[in-house]
Amino acid sequence: MTKFGTHDMTLAELFAEAALPAMDDAGVDREDVDAFYFGNTLGGTTENDTHLAPKLASHVGLAGVPAQRFEDACATSTNAFKHAVEAVEHGVHDVVLVGGVERCTPQTGIDTPEMTRIFVSAADRHYEQPTGITFPGVFAMLTKRHMHEYGTTEEQLAEIAVKNHAHGDRNPRAHFGKQATVEEVLDSPLIADPFRLMDCCPFSDGASAVVVVNPEYADSFDDTVGVTGLGHATDIVPVADKVEPTATQSARDAAAQAYEQAGIDAADADFAEVHDCFTGAEVLASEAIGFAPDGEGGTYAAEGRTSLGGDRPINPSGGLKAKGHPIGATGTAQIVELTEQIRGTVGERQVADAEVGVAHNLGGDAATTVVSVLEGRA
Amino acid sequence: MSDALDYATWAEAVREGRLLGLSCGCGHTNGSPTGACPHCGSRDLERVELPTEGVVHTETTIQVSPSTFEERGYQVVVVELGDTSGDSKRSSGAKVMGRVDGDDVGIGDGVRLSGLVSEDDGHPAPRFEAV
Repeated sequence: MTKFGTHDMTLAELFAEAALPAMDDAGVDREDVDAFYFGNTLGGTTENDTHLAPKLASHVGLAGVPAQRFEDACATSTNAFKHAVEAVEHGVHDVVLVGGVERCTPQTGIDTPEMTRIFVSAADRHYEQPTGITFPGVFAMLTKRHMHEYGTTEEQLAEIAVKNHAHGDRNPRAHFGKQATVEEVLDSPLIADPFRLMDCCPFSDGASAVVVVNPEYADSFDDTVGVTGLGHATDIVPVADKVEPTATQSARDAAAQAYEQAGIDAADADFAEVHDCFTGAEVLASEAIGFAPDGEGGTYAAEGRTSLGGDRPINPSGGLKAKGHPIGATGTAQIVELTEQIRGTVGERQVADAEVGVAHNLGGDAATTVVSVLEGRA
Repeated sequence: MSDALDYATWAEAVREGRLLGLSCGCGHTNGSPTGACPHCGSRDLERVELPTEGVVHTETTIQVSPSTFEERGYQVVVVELGDTSGDSKRSSGAKVMGRVDGDDVGIGDGVRLSGLVSEDDGHPAPRFEAV
């Protein structure tokens, strides 16, 4: 994957910077790759650039293979990953390149109010957007209800920002790694209460890619990591028609499916990368995937239980909050982090004894969630 | 779209100061039109006039707004409609997203329909005020 941050190059050039090294890492040649599964969310709107799957395939030397693009808001590229894994599992393909790319920074020529409008296209067009809601606003409302029901505090949310920035500070590919304090977070300007600027992930440019292969290919490669569980679920849109919006039910359903496939319980997982588009989203995610009991996601973070060196680290990469969030690249970037953590190659942000990793990639108002379980192959 | 209620009819009702929803035999009433019940899939839905008073389920105040909306600092709410305490996590009444005038309602406060917002290409959203 590329560093997440600001990139002044075309989507195809940016994607190649992730895809070609991924193919080299896997040791596959152009002739080995059967298909290309790709994620991009906003290119049609932000850059007037669509039909990207064959365009990017051409750019990385894969013209001719079946290529397809997925779009499920922020869950875009793990949805591509899920379909690639299932295609390989069922023998449709042997070797698949999977990845995503997005440019969201002002390098696109689009300012914050306009990008805020584009992002909110994932909310219901008729029953939500006309209120003037934004995506920080959607998660602010879910988080505020969680605070009301369980007593989650703004200080606990700030602790999550501090933790993820500290993790990101150890990740050379992070957009914003730095040491921050709870006071700095609480003093940053309000975006949508309870969220302040430092509760929110940045707008980022970036790309990520992985190569999915069948077990026969995998046995000939070093350092492969197995995909043992994949869950994918949706929930009702708009938010108001959900039975219990703060539950992020799609994440609970996707996690249950993924754990069942992997034959594990949540307690068996060693670490997770979760979709912390906002600090409150990490609270909801940590509970939905069973890393904290309901109502205690904020407490667990504040107590350091989800920090590197804690009981079970969450977002050792820095998460969306610090690593950055180039929408369509985020999902497969989580898969990259899981893979490298399980290989034990991430240096000072290494989770001790990382054998079982969970990725939680959420789209929209949790209308889509894909949960993946990756494990080391003996 | 359901014969019982479509978007154009829902939107026209909002412009007239009314809220329409769909009621299903499964027990759910939803505040937005669908072709089938989002909870059980039944297409046997009945158009209902929703209560115009309710309580705030959750809320936030938007300080960085989409380019479509020129002002900032407005409050957006999800309102649970009808005679409810709003205390249950799993709400039973229909809910709708809307705006609230001013910036002073919190979760559990009573609100009533007071008009509409129409700043987004003519698409209306319900506007509420504190009771």
